[in-house]
Amino acid sequence: MGDSQYSFSLTTFSPSGKLVQIEHALTAVGSGQTSLGIKAANGVVIATEKKLPSILVDEASVQKIQILTPNIGVVYSGMGPDSRVLVRKSRKQAEQYHRLYKEAIPVTQLVRETAAVMQEFTQSGGVRPFGVSLLVAGFDDKGPQLYQVDPSGSYFSWKASAMGKNVSNAKTFLEKRYTDDMELDDAVHTAILTLKEGFEGQISGKNIEIGIIGADKQFRVLTPAEIEDYLQEVE
Amino acid sequence: MSRGSGGGYDRHITIFSPEGRLFQVEYAFKAVKAAGVTSIGVRGKDSVCVVTQKKVPDKLLDPSSITHLFAVTKYLGLVATGTTADARTLVQQARNEAAEFRHKYGYEMPADTLARWIADKSQVYTQHAYMRPLGVVAMVLGIDDEVGPQLFKCDPAGHFFGHKATSAGLKEQEAINFLEKKMKNDPAFTYEETVQTAISALQSVLQEDLKANEIEVGVVVKGNPIFRALSTDEIDEHLTAISERD
Repeated sequence: MGDSQYSFSLTTFSPSGKLVQIEHALTAVGSGQTSLGIKAANGVVIATEKKLPSILVDEASVQKIQILTPNIGVVYSGMGPDSRVLVRKSRKQAEQYHRLYKEAIPVTQLVRETAAVMQEFTQSGGVRPFGVSLLVAGFDDKGPQLYQVDPSGSYFSWKASAMGKNVSNAKTFLEKRYTDDMELDDAVHTAILTLKEGFEGQISGKNIEIGIIGADKQFRVLTPAEIEDYLQEVE
Repeated sequence: MSRGSGGGYDRHITIFSPEGRLFQVEYAFKAVKAAGVTSIGVRGKDSVCVVTQKKVPDKLLDPSSITHLFAVTKYLGLVATGTTADARTLVQQARNEAAEFRHKYGYEMPADTLARWIADKSQVYTQHAYMRPLGVVAMVLGIDDEVGPQLFKCDPAGHFFGHKATSAGLKEQEAINFLEKKMKNDPAFTYEETVQTAISALQSVLQEDLKANEIEVGVVVKGNPIFRALSTDEIDEHLTAISERD
């Protein structure tokens, strides 16, 4: 990766040893819409705000939560167009793994490869880092897992995490509410309540997205009607 | 002490500014407005209509050579608002891509796939330093076999959304305000209503009555999903209908 005309890295060390382009990328993430993920005992839930620039936008044409493999899903905070690139690359990597090993790619491996791509763009010539952080939710032989990947390419496994505009409030809220023996349904309720905390306006099935994966190992995005049901339970 | 602005290059190539912004992308949006033209698209129940200004800056220019409406394939239309040269290169590449798609997969490239392709290409320009973003906002329209009429808008940042109605260019925000009011209750416009909403939106934001040779109108209709530009006579009929209605 790298463009021949720009055979030098655009992300370079500052005198104090910081990679400022990565810090700026994190700032871009921090001004993106809030998203969060919670790992339950029997599954994982990821959720995000879906605020569209106008009522004229057809919200059915927009889906922020994407499926990478049948048992792994992802949500982002930050620059949407950048996330599309990562989703496409990750899907291809998962497929290539499957072609080679005739087995579904484990969550950790897919996360590691996606993170490696993000790191490449902080070092290769002529490119800027990705302006997104990803929350990857998956369920494989090792059980339910939730990983957060940052623009630097570093990734960690989380019990619950949040990213974007309202990150500090959301994380404080999650810290209070999280229990190790949560069930997936409770996790969905907690996710909704966390989103509601910082939500401007009336929350509904049309302006948030929720993706879940349970013991059936099938990742799926909830329909607006299903989200409305959960919203009513939370009221 | 870390340097604030990446050596001052954050305004020249697409690297992040300290606030996490991409100035080159923002400047590309300004270039779209600087072209001085406004375009409007409206999606009806079984048709999509786009209207764009046709500004002929010099009387000696051949007006038939000035257009912002392009047929990417027989069935897909594209309105390119912004710098004309960038628009031309985008259309060339889009036409190539759509033709390859048809050859490779055996069926016509759908509107959303074309929009996604344009948006992904635009995203590459926002991430790689060697190419600047294009100063063009593209509106793609077509009739999809499964979903019906489609209207997509792609911008220099690489975003693309499906729209019930939208606008691009100099008076974009005013037009969107106008259209939001008209589309508030999800009306299912007929073909005539779709075209007239689009034209009257443009008239309203430009605050002048338009003549048929000052605008271009492109439509796709469900029964006959070929993208076509309306003739000046047809545009005149709609303009008359609008003025009689008001």
